[in-house]
Amino acid sequence: MGQLASALVIVIFGVLGCAAYFYGSNFLLDKLFPSKNRSYDVVARNLRITSYIRPWLFLGPALLALGFYLVYPVVESFRLSFFGRTGEEFVGLSNYVWLFNSDEFYQAFKNNMLWLVVVPTAATFFGLIIAVMTDRIWWGNIAKSLIFMPMAISFIGASVIWKFIYDFRSGDDPQIGLLNAVVLLFGGEPQQWITLDFWNNIFLMIILIWIQTGFAMVILSAALRGIPDETIEAAVLDGANGFQIFYKIMVPQIWGTIAVVWTTITILVLKVFDVVLAMTNGQWGTQVLANQMFDWMFRGGGDFGRGAVVAIIIMVLVVPIMVWNIRRANAEMEGR
Amino acid sequence: MIQSSKRSPLTWLMHITVLFLVVIWTVPTAGLFISSIRDKDQLSVSGWWTALSVSEQRMVSRTTIPKEPVQENGLYVLKGNVFEEGKSGLITRFGASSLKPEAFTSGTKTELKKGLTLIVLENGDYVMTSPKAFKGRGKRIFYTAEIPPRFTLDNYREVLSAEGLGKSFINSLTVTIPATIIPILVAAFAAYALAWMKFPGRAILIATVVGLLVVPLQMSLIPLLKSYSFIGSIFGVGSKGYIGIWLAHTGFGLPLAIYLLRNYIASLPREIIESARVDGATDFDIFRKIILPLSFPALASFAIFQFLWVWNDLLIAMVFLGNSADELVLTGQLRELLGSRGGNWEILTASAFITIIIPLCVFFGLQRFLVRGLLTGSVK
Amino acid sequence: MNKSILSTAVAVALSASALTVSSTHAADLIFQPGDDARFSWSSYDALKSIDLKGEKVSVFGPWLGSEKEHFDNVIAYFEAATGAEVEYAGSDSFEQQIVIDAQAGSAPNVSIFPQPGLAADLAAKGFVAALNDEAKQGVVDDYAAGQSWVDLATFKDDNGAENFYGVFYRADLKSLVWYSPDNFDDAGYDVPESMEELKALTQQIVEDGGTPWCIGLGSGAATGWPATDWVEDLMLRTQPASVYDQWVSNDIPFDDPRVVAAIEEFGWFARNDQYVDGGAASVSSTDFRDSPKGLFTSPAKCYLHRQASFVPAFFPEGTELGVDADFFYFPSYESKSLGNPVLGGGTLVSITNDSKGARSFIDFIRSPIAHELWMAQTGFISAHLKANPELYSSEAAKKQGEILRYATTFRFDASDLMPGKIGSGAFWTGMIDYTGGKDATDVAQSIQKSWDAIK
Repeated sequence: MGQLASALVIVIFGVLGCAAYFYGSNFLLDKLFPSKNRSYDVVARNLRITSYIRPWLFLGPALLALGFYLVYPVVESFRLSFFGRTGEEFVGLSNYVWLFNSDEFYQAFKNNMLWLVVVPTAATFFGLIIAVMTDRIWWGNIAKSLIFMPMAISFIGASVIWKFIYDFRSGDDPQIGLLNAVVLLFGGEPQQWITLDFWNNIFLMIILIWIQTGFAMVILSAALRGIPDETIEAAVLDGANGFQIFYKIMVPQIWGTIAVVWTTITILVLKVFDVVLAMTNGQWGTQVLANQMFDWMFRGGGDFGRGAVVAIIIMVLVVPIMVWNIRRANAEMEGR
Repeated sequence: MIQSSKRSPLTWLMHITVLFLVVIWTVPTAGLFISSIRDKDQLSVSGWWTALSVSEQRMVSRTTIPKEPVQENGLYVLKGNVFEEGKSGLITRFGASSLKPEAFTSGTKTELKKGLTLIVLENGDYVMTSPKAFKGRGKRIFYTAEIPPRFTLDNYREVLSAEGLGKSFINSLTVTIPATIIPILVAAFAAYALAWMKFPGRAILIATVVGLLVVPLQMSLIPLLKSYSFIGSIFGVGSKGYIGIWLAHTGFGLPLAIYLLRNYIASLPREIIESARVDGATDFDIFRKIILPLSFPALASFAIFQFLWVWNDLLIAMVFLGNSADELVLTGQLRELLGSRGGNWEILTASAFITIIIPLCVFFGLQRFLVRGLLTGSVK
Repeated sequence: MNKSILSTAVAVALSASALTVSSTHAADLIFQPGDDARFSWSSYDALKSIDLKGEKVSVFGPWLGSEKEHFDNVIAYFEAATGAEVEYAGSDSFEQQIVIDAQAGSAPNVSIFPQPGLAADLAAKGFVAALNDEAKQGVVDDYAAGQSWVDLATFKDDNGAENFYGVFYRADLKSLVWYSPDNFDDAGYDVPESMEELKALTQQIVEDGGTPWCIGLGSGAATGWPATDWVEDLMLRTQPASVYDQWVSNDIPFDDPRVVAAIEEFGWFARNDQYVDGGAASVSSTDFRDSPKGLFTSPAKCYLHRQASFVPAFFPEGTELGVDADFFYFPSYESKSLGNPVLGGGTLVSITNDSKGARSFIDFIRSPIAHELWMAQTGFISAHLKANPELYSSEAAKKQGEILRYATTFRFDASDLMPGKIGSGAFWTGMIDYTGGKDATDVAQSIQKSWDAIK
């Protein structure tokens, strides 16, 4: 309890500290370069100076944190990818050579590509149809809450939940896994879902789709409400039916948001490793890049060079998404 | 816009489809919850959807040998009940050998080897007789019993008391609260600067922030820990601690925070800000008096995301906080349980449910902010 | 907004405090020093001369749950005698965590390695402190086959020089087959004396309509390791120990026909749907902690379970060793005169962050009292000669202790000695693939390929 109290005190101090920084630094800036009650020239000059400096005051803490926590590690990983397992001897491109000759890499790569195609698409698709439909029924908000709920569950908690669903009992024992029970109900043969070649990848993906659909739904639902009512009313007057409204009016209108949702989930998928780690640890042919990187970095004594190479590959994979995102951001800027 | 298709078959289809999806999405969690309040013996032998029905279990019990032999009618007699204390059920069949555990119907007296007889009644009482005194280890009695459904909070009690989850609960809160609030503050200022202030390099900075969204954070662990130990050694403190993890979460959460908030703040109507500028307000004033209040929904929705993310995080806590029982957060504790008690479903389900209860409360409690934050994406 | 979040936080905090239950900190001495004359209290008294008041020693290892409790009880004596404050933390992900911590310079004072191979990896990077000759000599003198325990803990440091790095504390005996004596009685089976008999028994059980074996390889992130024990045990039973040693050091390749033959021996048991509970397909995903439970169900799902000495911890509650469950030595082939080899494992206690307290702790760990204190609880066997075997908590443990102490051929778990990438990586994955139906030669080749890739 005392620990929590001190945490709260620190929060208050932290907040006050942050506020003090922003307030104080701005106050100081205005004092040093006053823009009131001075001659026009001075004011103009001071205004120019402050407008140069102030953005950096606003950005300062964020840039420091970003630099230290994200930029520096990226640079460091890039450097490490040319070094040996201890990160001390320079080995040139040999880590890259190893990577492209390694079967386990291709398997992880292949699986990752599958994840990249299936999960964002499925989550966005379900998110969209649920968003459209829940907006039209009276209990839509309750439905939304329930579907969003998995978002609140940790990957590790989700793994426990889904282990329970994919559970398999041998012989005549009653199945306690829901999936096998359902299969049995329809006269099928119970399966070891987690070891089922290829399909086990899909079963792991379902977990992430289950988690992420709620996210897609909330964002898309927000975008849908942003469509002016007149647009849709006009379409209705023109005799368009529900499906036509959906395909011809709604989807094009929120196309930008769909893309954002899709991108966000894609990025998450590239980084995903908790689900794989907790469910299979990459065994039975379910390896993905992020887990493989973790493997090389930290298991069996650790090999930083090879871990870093896999990390670089992950980053290279997201470059197209990044570029596209940046383009979009810039286009928005110009439109202003 | 909603009235158009009312009462058409399409509406019905919609209701049914949504209902179907909602069921699919909630069943896994519901299963976890129901399992966590079931009796542990039932939990591992029958599916949770059968929780309300009588379950049939096959079990083994061993007779206890009394210190003083009891004799009746020239035979040695052994009496007892197969059920453990506090349990009950309806015995249907019983047996005395692992090869034929269901050989006899309850209530029938049966002859075993060496003149032994055994009878097990429906309520679990048994009587065993033998011409010779019982000695050595007890005989096994196999029985099939219909056990009535039993719900209990024992699983929770066990987890909360014995497994130290209470402490990790506090730890998780200690990590989560500051790690949610600090990045919001830092990001809000940066987002404003990126949205409404003109300075050279702004486009590049925005691009960088977007780019940083995708950095896999696993790769930053070692460089960061190294820096932490270096900084820690200067101040003579360890490299692991709450401040370190708060700042780490801040750093990792910033790209998304800045990205989301900038988009939101940039979409605020230009006129408000322009007119304030014309009135001579500085950027700081504008930020404080106009931007902050207006973007409250966006701040709140990011806060929810960040809270969920930090609360549910395992990796960063594993690395930046120690492993001792005093320092474990909930997800870490759950992971340890998965490892050490992998077979004990009752422990797993109960502790898993405990870890998700707070995020669920936060989510259901604050979701109106979340929805509002995302809905007012463009202030009309 | 801050206000609303804070008020929620406070509400949450209040509800949390209601949930909080004080965590248990067992610091009491469970056996009163001096009371039971069977303990080597002299080595406890010797500790009192070391003054470590105010000194903190952090210890990090793989033990959790009841094992952690037992170890905490042992530590309490060190604290009581020296005044030091020892904090033990256990983790299921020890293998990764220690690498992260060592690299980052935040390693604990003392680490307990479940695999010497991992300690060797870290020593080669200069993260483990070498022990002095006194400690080394102590192990040579005090342990059964002391020199071999020293050899197992001797690695190259970052300069390539060989040093002695750690003391083995808790040993595991792997070559054991567990069974239910009652079930054997009911079915009229006898404990087999040779591998031939064991195989005959396996077939006999199938003919009688039963299922002989319960095998489970699942172990979360470490899935696959139980199979490596099988292969190692069979390797020792089909080939001389010298071949085993060459295999461990990769002087013979992993895809050598002799190794492949051992893998296929394992397949004889594990890849036959009739021989394994749940069929061959369920072997790799069944949790190793769940699989022994099949011995005790009604009716029994299986009759035999090959697993190390620690496994009773995962038997159903209330299972009494010697009554409900017992074990026999995983027998060797009568047709091959290779003696009765024993496969074992052990945890290595090493210094990963040097301090006076850490050194003293290592001295404590290699003293007989540290072994006896855990022996007298449960789930511990020791190769320490001066630890009094009378203190074993059960006959079973005592019997295992004797097997370990008097083994003619003792070999350490090969996968624990191989480089981490193989022993706790490719070998595991390979075994999972093999039980899943892949060809033994292909599997062995791919393991060898992984090994080549890290040379």
